[in-house]
Amino acid sequence: MKSVLITFDQAHYENIIELLTKLNCRGFTAWPEVTGRGSVKGEPHYGSHAWPALAQAIITIVPDDRADALLQGLKALDDARPKLGLRAFSWTIDKSI
Amino acid sequence: MSLYGSAVKRPIMTTLCFVAVVIMGLFSLSKLPIDLYPDIETNTIMVMTSYPGASAQDIEQNVTRPLENVLNSVSNLKHISSKSRENISVITLEFEYGNDIDVITNDVRDKLDMIASQLPDDAENPTIFKFSTDMIPIMLLSVQASESMPGLYKILEDAVTNPLARVPGVGSVSISGAPKREIHVYVDPARLEAYNLTIEGISSIVANENRNIPGGSFDIGNDTYSMRVQGEFTSSDQLKNLVIGTHDGRNVYLSDVAKIDDSLEERAQETYNNGLKGAMIVVQKQSGANSVEISNKVLKMLPDLQKRLPSDVKLDIIVDTSDNIRNTIDSLIETVLYALLFVVLVVFLFLGRWRATVIITITIPISLIASFIYLAITGDSLNIVSLSALSISIGMVVDDAIVVLENVTTHIERGSDPKQAAVHGTNEVAISVVASTLTLIAVFFPLTLVTGMTGVLFRQLGWMVTIMMVISTTCALSLTPMLCSQMLRLNHHHSKLYNIFFRPIEKGLDAFDNGYASLLRWVVSHKIITIVLCLATFFGSLQLVKHVGTEFFPTNDDGRLGVNLELPIGTRVEVSKEVTDRLVKEWQQKYPEIKTINYSVGSASSDNTWASLSDNGPHIVSMNIKLSDPGDRDRHITDIAAGMRQDLLQYPEYKKALVNVGGNRGGSMGGQSTVDFEIYGYDFDETDSVAQMLKAELQKIPGTADITISRSDYQPEYQIDFDREKLAMYGLNLATAATYVRNRINGATASKFREDGEEYDIKVMYNKESRQSIEDIENILIYNAQGQSVRIKDVGKVVERFSPPTIERKDRERIITVSSIVQGVPMSQVVTAARAAIDKMDIPQGVSISIAGSYEDQQESFGDLLMLAVLIVILVYIVMAAQFESYTYPAIIMTSLLFAFSGVFIILYLTGHTLNIMSMIGAIMLIGIVVKNGIVLIDYITLNRERGLSIRRAVIDAGRSRLRPVVMTTLTTILGMIPMAVGTGQGAEMWRPMGTAVIGGLTFSTILTLLFVPVLYCVFARRGIKRQRRKFHKRLAKQQKAEAKKLLEQNN
Repeated sequence: MKSVLITFDQAHYENIIELLTKLNCRGFTAWPEVTGRGSVKGEPHYGSHAWPALAQAIITIVPDDRADALLQGLKALDDARPKLGLRAFSWTIDKSI
Repeated sequence: MSLYGSAVKRPIMTTLCFVAVVIMGLFSLSKLPIDLYPDIETNTIMVMTSYPGASAQDIEQNVTRPLENVLNSVSNLKHISSKSRENISVITLEFEYGNDIDVITNDVRDKLDMIASQLPDDAENPTIFKFSTDMIPIMLLSVQASESMPGLYKILEDAVTNPLARVPGVGSVSISGAPKREIHVYVDPARLEAYNLTIEGISSIVANENRNIPGGSFDIGNDTYSMRVQGEFTSSDQLKNLVIGTHDGRNVYLSDVAKIDDSLEERAQETYNNGLKGAMIVVQKQSGANSVEISNKVLKMLPDLQKRLPSDVKLDIIVDTSDNIRNTIDSLIETVLYALLFVVLVVFLFLGRWRATVIITITIPISLIASFIYLAITGDSLNIVSLSALSISIGMVVDDAIVVLENVTTHIERGSDPKQAAVHGTNEVAISVVASTLTLIAVFFPLTLVTGMTGVLFRQLGWMVTIMMVISTTCALSLTPMLCSQMLRLNHHHSKLYNIFFRPIEKGLDAFDNGYASLLRWVVSHKIITIVLCLATFFGSLQLVKHVGTEFFPTNDDGRLGVNLELPIGTRVEVSKEVTDRLVKEWQQKYPEIKTINYSVGSASSDNTWASLSDNGPHIVSMNIKLSDPGDRDRHITDIAAGMRQDLLQYPEYKKALVNVGGNRGGSMGGQSTVDFEIYGYDFDETDSVAQMLKAELQKIPGTADITISRSDYQPEYQIDFDREKLAMYGLNLATAATYVRNRINGATASKFREDGEEYDIKVMYNKESRQSIEDIENILIYNAQGQSVRIKDVGKVVERFSPPTIERKDRERIITVSSIVQGVPMSQVVTAARAAIDKMDIPQGVSISIAGSYEDQQESFGDLLMLAVLIVILVYIVMAAQFESYTYPAIIMTSLLFAFSGVFIILYLTGHTLNIMSMIGAIMLIGIVVKNGIVLIDYITLNRERGLSIRRAVIDAGRSRLRPVVMTTLTTILGMIPMAVGTGQGAEMWRPMGTAVIGGLTFSTILTLLFVPVLYCVFARRGIKRQRRKFHKRLAKQQKAEAKKLLEQNN
């Protein structure tokens, strides 16, 4: 089992849900409005006067075999709209109930 | 979910909601009546009390004063003025506008009940009379006739006035100039004396002979029949053979002592149309009815009515007030359409994309049409004010949509889906869109709170613009994002056409941006020079204020002139007519602009409602002139009026001559302004001489014309002074004697002659030749109860006297008003010159002069508007301070107001317009419009600084990127106003100053704001940083000191 944390510009939301559905990853948890900025470039997403854009975050736990496909799909999404911003991080899950 | 979220998600619902609004709006529009002004409720009540037999002074002392004292306590009273003349007291109560006149009327009635018992016993009960604009005739029709002239009254009554009066909404229709039929029995006094007969005897015989009397019913066999005596005359000839007495055993017939004359009433108003004798039909509307609607119906009926008339009788229109309304509204609608076109063009040129242009411009019709719903609900009409509101708003309603669309486009270009972009893009700007609408509402909403005359006019403007702003913002936050999500596409490829047309435009705009950025770079490096230059321009423009005149309302050219002419009292109708005919001929030659010229002269009969209410008499001529349409002639109505006033100086026959633009004198809107000088003082002679002096002084002032003194001269008249003792000796009393005189001169109405369902008076009186000298009067015989006769000269004396003039009072003091028309110069110039002249005059103690008329109205309205401006500035400041969470930034933005006012003064000076109510309203609207530019600029500068840019870079960067939206929104507003400012249609004089003021103020302030505001921002921001640094250093020093102290203590 792998956990994938996806943080992205709000505009990506529907595409990501679509991707998850396509990969048959049913479970996820989403935070509709989160703020933050990228480590290298891209506009900060603060929801403030200066940086009005907002980000969202989704965490999903997927079987190992689907994690790569998911990350690849996310990469493709990010490449298609580089200015929006999308990052995903995955790590292994030891146990779950 | 947010408004825009749901709108984007549910496009069908959003579309249909707005479609519903548009349908409701269009439905309301189809029901809206057309009028010139919003419904102005009457604010005047008249109280009339007659006290027969009392002189002017008695009336003043015993009726007017007690009534004034008690009526003065009615609430909301503005002025109380009165006229006391022989037999009658007329008190006029003027109230503040905007109060419920019915409540006030009840209040007045209560007060009158209170005082009723204290009035003299013979005084009749005071009657209340409400004057309203409804009483002004809406149409005057001229009637030309030749052979039918003698029977014209009856012809017109049957074929024209009765059918017209049946039109719904028509109040009364009166005929003037067509005398009514009357049967005169002209008695020869010598023969009367010879047969020992009296006029009274003859009248009672005529009355007794001309009767039908039912004789009851009687039975013959099985039937019951009624019995009648039919004595009524069937022809006036029957009068001749009436036996009126016997003499020496022979019958005396009426024809033996009198001449029977079946003709027209003796003294009637005569009317001349274009120099030909005819009649005039006056149409008044019912209170509250719509004049345009009624006039349309009347106009539609006219061809039909014409067919019913004999061939020599021709109907024509002299005045149709609705004509002016229709033309004015049409030209204003044209203005609105031009404004719409200009705005669409600007948006298209700046954006270069038709989809974006459609999305933005669709808000215009929706907001405008939605405001019609408001008009329909409140029962208002489509008038100058509501249409101006539309014209003003066109440029402003697109602003919000532009901001939203721009941000959504940015999102799409960044890679968002149009749907996502629409929601998030709108979300980001929603607050600033609402805030900028709030600043505009802060300007327009207080307009709904103004009181007085201006309040009545601008309440509608305030509501309309506020509603349109709210609708446009709602539209921008729901319909615009929805349309963006549906219509906008990420499209980097442009068509060939785009490349041909828009590449050069875009290049030009880019060069413009860069040019501005370089200029901005220069000004922020030369702050002091910029600030000094800008402030110098501002203070320099203030010098122009002296040269820009002020007035109340611009004079409206409705192509209608009213001329009131007065010859010396007692002039015979024939003389008045002869002089006026000469004048008419001269004017017809001199002014080819005259379409019809019509005048009435003579005393009006009491059944002509309109004429009997206005001044009339054999020496008074009232004239109506209709000019061709303003677009078809070179001379403005005021120039023609000025020429006519010059011409009238060549006619010394006229004692008073007034030329009134727009028909009535001193009309607060549209007519030429008047300045009234009110001379208060008790003593007649003193105030008279001051009035004469003032008139002489005023005549020297350029720009004054038609100067009148309200107090009329002493009127010459004949009176009979009866000796009561002698009367008593003959067994007579004064009333009997006076009635004898009246019956012989005025005539005794003996009976009515009936024919075809109409009744005509049969009047018995002396023949004309026997009532033309004082001897004739002195020889009148009076009979006592025993039948003994005595001549007037034996019991009294006929003397010539002067009856004192009407005593006028205002606010419970005697007053004379010297009134002058202002012609060719601003009103303020005349007032200043008059003030100087009054200061030099030697005014007796107890006499004071104050200035009223249009000037008073202007001062009041200007006061109201200035107050309003202050209120608005405060409100706008509050809205901005709340938005920026700062006290400084709004203050910086507010400086653009200074330049807006400079711009107003400069453009008024250059175009020669005056500062009047309309230009003032323009200036007030500017408060909201110009701060918007500042808000956009400062908002982006602070955004840049929050993003970490230095002050200088933040300012230049913001300038470059915000220039286009600022110029675009400014251009839409300016271009929206241009059709108003340059309009030449009917009524354009009214809104031209407003359009001009907004254009001047906005242009000037935008140019200077784009330079001054960034510089000022730099100055204040730098000071802020320095202050923070100083604080930081102080704190640091304090800390270091404390640490050093601590260290020292530890060491110790």
